[in-house]
Amino acid sequence: MNKVPAATLAASVTAALALLSGQAAADGASKEKCYGIALKGQNDCAAGAGTTCAGTATVDYQANSWKLVPAGTCVTIVTPKGHGSLNKGDAPA
Amino acid sequence: MLEIQDAFTRALLERDRPIPPGLTCSNGLRPERRFAIHRDNVVAGLIATLASRFPATQRIVGAPFFVVLARAFIDRHPPRSPVLLEYGKDLPSFVEAFEPARDLPYLADVIRLEAARGRAYHAADMPPLDPQTLAVLPQERLPFIRFDFHPATSMIRSSHPIVTIWAMNADGSKPKPVEPWLAEDAMVSRPTLNVRVHRLPSGGGTFLSLLAAGSPLGDAVEAALSESPNFNLSTNLAFMLGAGVTTAIR
Repeated sequence: MNKVPAATLAASVTAALALLSGQAAADGASKEKCYGIALKGQNDCAAGAGTTCAGTATVDYQANSWKLVPAGTCVTIVTPKGHGSLNKGDAPA
Repeated sequence: MLEIQDAFTRALLERDRPIPPGLTCSNGLRPERRFAIHRDNVVAGLIATLASRFPATQRIVGAPFFVVLARAFIDRHPPRSPVLLEYGKDLPSFVEAFEPARDLPYLADVIRLEAARGRAYHAADMPPLDPQTLAVLPQERLPFIRFDFHPATSMIRSSHPIVTIWAMNADGSKPKPVEPWLAEDAMVSRPTLNVRVHRLPSGGGTFLSLLAAGSPLGDAVEAALSESPNFNLSTNLAFMLGAGVTTAIR
């Protein structure tokens, strides 16, 4: 394998810096591309008022828990059964 | 005293155990029932803790399934510390072996991503590397520089489109079919005070994990190029500097 010459690296650094300043200019002070950055406070262990009944109710649930199937909003997501594995070859990683 | 506390804790977390010896009830009612309520409150609190740490996960599987999953996890991995900030770090490996979740092979990686966001949120504050530091570096030094990574940075490499799935199940988003189903490497960073989730550019997973492990820039570039012909160094560097992944060069 060939060593990557320092000059190539330097050119890439210059290009990257140009790219960065271009992004900053385009975005202005407003924002940059990112996904849902809000994180809810997560250390509130909410064992407070009103949890008593919720807690007792779920004990019964346990009995049939093994029959449960994930059924959330993600039913619309294609599961990779015989699907994801087919495409895995194209993966960039 | 220690013995009593110990017995109390064990009885709290293991539902089949008898109540701690010597427990009485001031109004003469059956202490078993009073204790059962406390026991359920503790578990309900832990479930709520997990739900607030892993909101996208909960949305993916639905609340009823999440409760069962969390309950099974709490049974097996009760908290070892009174600080719950890190509680749930064993959840990904638990989910991998959790039979009812077998049809969702991407779930564990999505949980890893959410856990990384939590860690980033609580990581130490540090200013990210100023991109201009690289501009003034003599060219011949470039292949040999190493980067210090920001304490808030972590990477999750996945064979599933975890960033897409996570983003669609984050607050206020609308899930839709994922097409095409491609592997995605995720990076979590927190350049200032906001936690960010990024989908790494092609070859970025190899490039950045080598840099994070302390490899010099030249070696990381070569490895990334040989693994992924589409690897674009400028894009990856711009991402790395823009996302505040690093703090210093050595």
